[in-house]
Amino acid sequence: MQVTFKVYRKDPEKDGKPGRSNYTVDVPDGATVLESLFKIRDEIDSSLAFRCSCLRGHCGDCMVRVNGSSRLTCTAKVTAYTQKGPEISLDPLRNVSVIKDLVYDWDAFMWNKIGTVKPWLEASDATADAENVIADAQMKDLRKVMSCYQCGMCDEGCTILPVDIDFVGPAALTKAYRFVFDPRNQNAKEQLKTVEGPKGIWDCVHCYEADEHCPRGIEPTKRIIALRDEAYRVGITNEKVARHHKSFAASVTESGWVDEGRLAIESEGLTNVSGLMKLLPTAAKALMRGKAPIPYVHAKRPGAEQIKKIIEKGEAENK
Amino acid sequence: MKYAFYPGCVSKGGCPELYPSSVKVADKLNIEIEEMKDVACTGAGVLPQYLSDPINARTLAKAEKMGLPMMTICSTCQGVLAQANYRLTSDAEYRTKINREYLADEGLEYKGTTEVKHMLWVLFEDYGIDNLKTLIRKPLKGLKVSPFYGCFLRRPAEAITPTKESNARKSYLDQIIGIMGAELADISGKGKCCGFPILSANEENSLAMVAKHTGESKQNGANCMVTPCPLCHLNLDGNQARAGAQAGKEIDLPILHLPQFVGMALGFSPEEMSVKRHIVSTSAVEKIVDMLT
Repeated sequence: MQVTFKVYRKDPEKDGKPGRSNYTVDVPDGATVLESLFKIRDEIDSSLAFRCSCLRGHCGDCMVRVNGSSRLTCTAKVTAYTQKGPEISLDPLRNVSVIKDLVYDWDAFMWNKIGTVKPWLEASDATADAENVIADAQMKDLRKVMSCYQCGMCDEGCTILPVDIDFVGPAALTKAYRFVFDPRNQNAKEQLKTVEGPKGIWDCVHCYEADEHCPRGIEPTKRIIALRDEAYRVGITNEKVARHHKSFAASVTESGWVDEGRLAIESEGLTNVSGLMKLLPTAAKALMRGKAPIPYVHAKRPGAEQIKKIIEKGEAENK
Repeated sequence: MKYAFYPGCVSKGGCPELYPSSVKVADKLNIEIEEMKDVACTGAGVLPQYLSDPINARTLAKAEKMGLPMMTICSTCQGVLAQANYRLTSDAEYRTKINREYLADEGLEYKGTTEVKHMLWVLFEDYGIDNLKTLIRKPLKGLKVSPFYGCFLRRPAEAITPTKESNARKSYLDQIIGIMGAELADISGKGKCCGFPILSANEENSLAMVAKHTGESKQNGANCMVTPCPLCHLNLDGNQARAGAQAGKEIDLPILHLPQFVGMALGFSPEEMSVKRHIVSTSAVEKIVDMLT
């Protein structure tokens, strides 16, 4: 079958400007996109740069966007992308800086970020020189996370990275989970702090895009949520977030439901004058348009007492 | 057709226009609703799961006792309830533990039979589009509308329920725009996050997301956007001016709640759908709708 590959090109040794090259090749039935790239490089254009390593969907090295969606080229069959016509576009990921053609900067994209979460185990001194034996069942949950082959698909799907390239991202946060929740870790609380600051767990919008993108079913979003719940349990150290969570929990505990007026003010902090000032234009408009009752009231729900009991019990049991 | 109606906090708080417009539309369609008044906030993804699962189990148990499926009008309520429901129904041991530790005190028990549906899903799956079409009095010709779903009407998979409808559910909002006689102004970010969850943790990123989505919508020729999620509305409408200022552009895109949009096609005036309560002026939409006969 004749297929035209429209491939993103960029060569820093020439003008460094992004462009596109079209290559038409004859590919056999069942060929993968990666096999097509080999064919293009061997037969048409030896200057085309792309990455690959394991050739069997285990390492993640060959990930690019195939017709706009991130895919491992070594497992992506050509025929899966030619249903609308014999043309396939190949591009680097969105949230990366490109070195050449389909080769992008993995250090900036992921490795440096994984480095920031201190991805190692800090066991106790007593076991430092000995074997640290652990029951198999205790590793069940972590084993799933450890099956991550760091392909970066979750970071590619992330909603935050396109607006903030410095966000640590789901791949690195999932790595943090793997160590924070390791039963052998003697320093979990400190490790949790490495991802509690700006650009860490609280910058995630828990939109579940990462989970949809993960080819291994590791569910990075749920791992980030677990890290946040753990931070809540042991005491959030990020001040802004702590204020917001405290106010939210207090209003649900006291009245059964969220008091948004109170939440907006308490999240900024009662002594934060500039923070409170910036709320004013919207607050004034809201009052003018009848969005909030005057005088402002937030009534207790029926059932609030029972809700309070449940929350207080939950807090106590998870201390 | 009757539902245990879960209006959520925002439809009675930050978006008080949502509650009355939802009730009016349900009434017009003869969808009977019995409001759940003595139940808690879902936790909205802010409260940790160990607190939100018990309070949501209580809500689900109350609906079960009423013998009714639940109807929500908020993507976030829908998602948080559905995720809790998934954990409680798929893991009997967990459900028993929650029942014993948190619900027994009040004489409640959740057996795991409550179905939770967003109003958008109710319209397609229970009410039926053919029925809905017969009630359209004012096809919304002239409105060019971008859909904005709210994450939790798209993901995670288990909260959209792994049924044959699960993929269809991802296009209901696109579909309803055309069904109501308006024109679709599609955007690539329709299923993405609006940025609201990080408004207090990282306002700059949150506002950048508002500017991105509303800006794209404007660029694609929309004169308004419709959303089934009031939390998205709070950010896309309430913070749009600040988002525009941060991005250095004026956006000025009216954001409609789903029931307001449907309601206007059913013959309610924009005024009756309380659009004047929004932060971004809806006058451009009102002008178009008022001219329709």
